Amino acid sequence: MKAKPAEPILSIAVLILGIAVAIGTAMLPSGGGYAGVGPNVAPAIVAAGLILIGIWLLYEALSGGWRNARPDDPAARGEHPFHVGAFVWVSVGLFAQMLLMQRAGFVLAQAVLFASVARGFGSARPLRDFAAGLLLGFGVFVFFVQFLNVNLPAGWLRPILGAAGI
Amino acid sequence: MLETLHSLYQGFAVALTPLNLFWGFLGVTLGTFVGVLPGVGPALTVAMLLPVTVKLDATGALIMFAGIYYGAMFGGSTTTILLNTPGESASIATALEGNLMAKKGRAGAALATCAIGSFVAGTIATILVTLLAPMVIEIALKFGPAEYFALMVFAFTTVSAVIGSSTVRGLTSLFLGLLLGLVGIDSQSGQSRFTFGVPELLDGVDVVVLAVGLFAVGETLYVAAYSSRVEEQIEQLRGSLWMSKEDWKRSLPAWLRATLIGFPFGSIPAGGAEIPTFLSYATERRLTRYPQEFGHGAIEGVAGPEAANNASVTGALVPLLTLGIPTSATAAVLLGAFQNYGIQPGPLLFQSQPDLVWGLIASLYIGNVLLLILNLPLVGIWVRVLEIPRPLLYSGILLFATVGAFSLHQSVTDLVILYIFGLFGFIMRRWDIPVGPAVIGLILGPLAETQFRRALSISQGDPSVFVTHPISAAVLALSLFAVILPHLIRHFRRA
Repeated sequence: MKAKPAEPILSIAVLILGIAVAIGTAMLPSGGGYAGVGPNVAPAIVAAGLILIGIWLLYEALSGGWRNARPDDPAARGEHPFHVGAFVWVSVGLFAQMLLMQRAGFVLAQAVLFASVARGFGSARPLRDFAAGLLLGFGVFVFFVQFLNVNLPAGWLRPILGAAGI
Repeated sequence: MLETLHSLYQGFAVALTPLNLFWGFLGVTLGTFVGVLPGVGPALTVAMLLPVTVKLDATGALIMFAGIYYGAMFGGSTTTILLNTPGESASIATALEGNLMAKKGRAGAALATCAIGSFVAGTIATILVTLLAPMVIEIALKFGPAEYFALMVFAFTTVSAVIGSSTVRGLTSLFLGLLLGLVGIDSQSGQSRFTFGVPELLDGVDVVVLAVGLFAVGETLYVAAYSSRVEEQIEQLRGSLWMSKEDWKRSLPAWLRATLIGFPFGSIPAGGAEIPTFLSYATERRLTRYPQEFGHGAIEGVAGPEAANNASVTGALVPLLTLGIPTSATAAVLLGAFQNYGIQPGPLLFQSQPDLVWGLIASLYIGNVLLLILNLPLVGIWVRVLEIPRPLLYSGILLFATVGAFSLHQSVTDLVILYIFGLFGFIMRRWDIPVGPAVIGLILGPLAETQFRRALSISQGDPSVFVTHPISAAVLALSLFAVILPHLIRHFRRA
């Protein structure tokens, strides 16, 4: 049988998460009035649950693999092997969005997100994608600011958006 | 009975005001548009469109959500049939025969039987909701915290342990959701839990952020990594949208049977819409007079599961409205929407805000009609959405989905949390851990904790209260049974 290192690792991660929650729970005060149920009881139950589940997952992983899991071979799932570039481009888009949102503003952040996700999905026309993202981002911005009265950061485009009365 | 009719009449008076009718119309249209997008299921559709309703009053918003809910499901079926990519597990059964029908050039009839079947099943199920809800309330008013807690535990076990391919992975997802539900200030003691000094976490994790993270970001990461280079085949929309006499004769019994199968599964909290759709598929396959067509695009095989899905989803509104217990990820997001308006569904809501509840129920009837008269004629437009090149389609999904999560608090912290949930969603999708139970755990966990503590403070700390109350004891026993049963069956089969 082929070794599947991911399953034991994920099982142990759940187990460690359970232990971490248990430690966090121990630091919570227990005072719960006369009912005896303080803010630490539910966390204790969740911690116990995660630890038991982690052990159960680990047992399955080490005794023939998780039961009824999807095939490990991407081809058997009708998919291609893990495409690093695609995953990275989508992630880059989301990180850029986080960094740009407050400074450059909503419209530019969404345009960059749009262009890099499209790049991740194999688009070879970054300028068209950026323009499309700019247009969609602008539309959403106007809709939220004008119609929903939700404030979105205008950022670097403030002079232009402001001049347009938005 | 008369009282129910009167309440319903009042409800129609609320739902049929031009403005509310407009919100319903907008909801169905937006819901269908977003629901058509591949990989976007109803739960994500509702979460994505939540911010759009911020300016509406509670009644208008809920009416719009009823439309979104139905629209999202129809949109999902369209994609399922033409693209063979079920957006959610409840559409898998529809995909089996639906895509084959499309391949045979009968996509029109397949979509028609879906739309009309949804209308028939949805309307019958809504009538059942109307009749059942007042009865459930009579019972629910007698429930104490112990009974509520037991019912919530039952909902937890059915959504995580019964459905899906593995009990333990369902529980993994559920407990991750429960853990996220703990984050924030404990409502009873004022103690902050698991916030790590991040002020944005004091309010807890928002269900929209979790749903968008798991369903939109996680899904996009997954598709990018594993199938962005796979050629997709969209079936053309061929064949008449009118069903032949033969089609009607074969569809109608399937719709009706499926409604009877689907409704109870939704309303009892028995684990969502997946099981009844497959049950309906199996039933139609056994009863059909054309067994040779199954596996080559039999219309009963589309009509049944689709109607079962709709009946079950509508049935899920019974526990949601009368008990405040969501039994699917979509219902959980809807409950989150209710909570945004400070509304806690339950028996008391029917007394304190009858206009709102009955307006919502009336709008379900209207939503069904709107769906039928709007969507079938417009199906050509929805199909166009699928023809957008995939890079632009997925960029667009992520662009709109992240707006929803960001606009809630205009906080970059939410975007960071969103990406973390996206990674979780990716891992869960890849290693076959269902994501639905996590969403339900997040929203239902804190409610269950509240009932748990209430029950214990009434009994002055005596935990036997959960087993000495007969209803609570029975429901808890049933929950235990639900977890163990699948394993027992497997054990005996092997023996």
